[in-house]
Amino acid sequence: MKTVFINCSPKERFCASAYFLFLQRLFTGGTKVYEKLRTPADQAGILEQLRDAQAVVFGLPMYVDGVPSHVLRFMEEMEVFCRENKLCLNVYCIANNGFIEGKQNEPLMQVFENFCSRSGLTWGGGVGIGGGVMLNVTRILFIVDIGLLALNTVLSIVNTGDFFPKAAWIGFAENAALLLYFNLGVLFYLAVMGRLISKGEYFGKRYTRILIPSFVFILFADIFFIITSVLEGGIFKGWLARKE
Amino acid sequence: MKVIIHDLGPEYEALIEERCGKAVAADGKYAPCQGCFGCWTKHPAECFMKDSLQQVCRVMGQADEIVIVTRNLYGGYSSAVKNVLDRSIGTSTPFSTYRGGQMHHTLRYGKHDLWKVVVYGDISDAEKDTFRYTAERNALNDGYERSEVVFLNDLTELEAAL
Repeated sequence: MKTVFINCSPKERFCASAYFLFLQRLFTGGTKVYEKLRTPADQAGILEQLRDAQAVVFGLPMYVDGVPSHVLRFMEEMEVFCRENKLCLNVYCIANNGFIEGKQNEPLMQVFENFCSRSGLTWGGGVGIGGGVMLNVTRILFIVDIGLLALNTVLSIVNTGDFFPKAAWIGFAENAALLLYFNLGVLFYLAVMGRLISKGEYFGKRYTRILIPSFVFILFADIFFIITSVLEGGIFKGWLARKE
Repeated sequence: MKVIIHDLGPEYEALIEERCGKAVAADGKYAPCQGCFGCWTKHPAECFMKDSLQQVCRVMGQADEIVIVTRNLYGGYSSAVKNVLDRSIGTSTPFSTYRGGQMHHTLRYGKHDLWKVVVYGDISDAEKDTFRYTAERNALNDGYERSEVVFLNDLTELEAAL
């Protein structure tokens, strides 16, 4: 059983799609191949990997209620390739968007469903995730927490000879539990989908989100964009103004 | 102002130009969106990529009515047209609000009137449903009062649909 995981984010680093595909690979058995689709030059290599695969998982961001244009170009190539080579693949999808509601990925999911019908492939379903960017930040915070724990442990050994600074470990455990809670919906659905990908079975469409209230999410999103706009200078260039 | 975005060949140029205030030819001679959010946070309503879509947010922002003429692709826009739309998110601001009971971005240019999609090419019933749903979502997302989708049997019906 070979599954090809395609990271369709145009970003080179720190993209949410990479995070969700990393989790999905943990929950999926068999041979796993990870590919990136950023430019047309990536297409040929990915298509070759599909030749002997049984399943493909697209990980992608939602752009303007749908599939990003560079992914649509690849899907057209893939349709032709699959028909010419009579491939029988199960197709799954992990879509994320920057809004809080995972359900906003529904039009994108339908496009994948229609793509499968056109290509003679089997639609396996997918997970639509809300708050993808913020969930991606939680993994970065988790890595920072591990770094802080390591630093506190080293300082504790140097200063007091204590190899197990209790307060630092409690703080780490509290933060890790909170970050885990934010991700629970995603972890649950990716775990279920991973089991069904491994068995070649249908999953259906499921929607989830970062597990925080939407008004808190919006507050944090606005703060994030204000800080970014100050750092990048947009706030000094008619940030919210109508531009003729 | 009426803005038409289309993926038709040059033979339709005169007709399109006659029917709108501004036409955007989705000819594929531009780069896809890189998802950097620079059109929100760095240089508002302008893309860092210096191609024909650099100012497309500012064109679409001025529209009362958008008409999108597109080939059907799996119940959605052709990749060339979708590329134009992907590069247009600067018509909104990075701030968030609730519209239609869901989170969306606030509108840099305020409310618009009609989001109309004219679809040509072979299309199934399921794809038609997806197109109608997508147009509704686009209209809500971009602050249009209403949406409409027209399916052409062939391009001889285009003139009447514009």
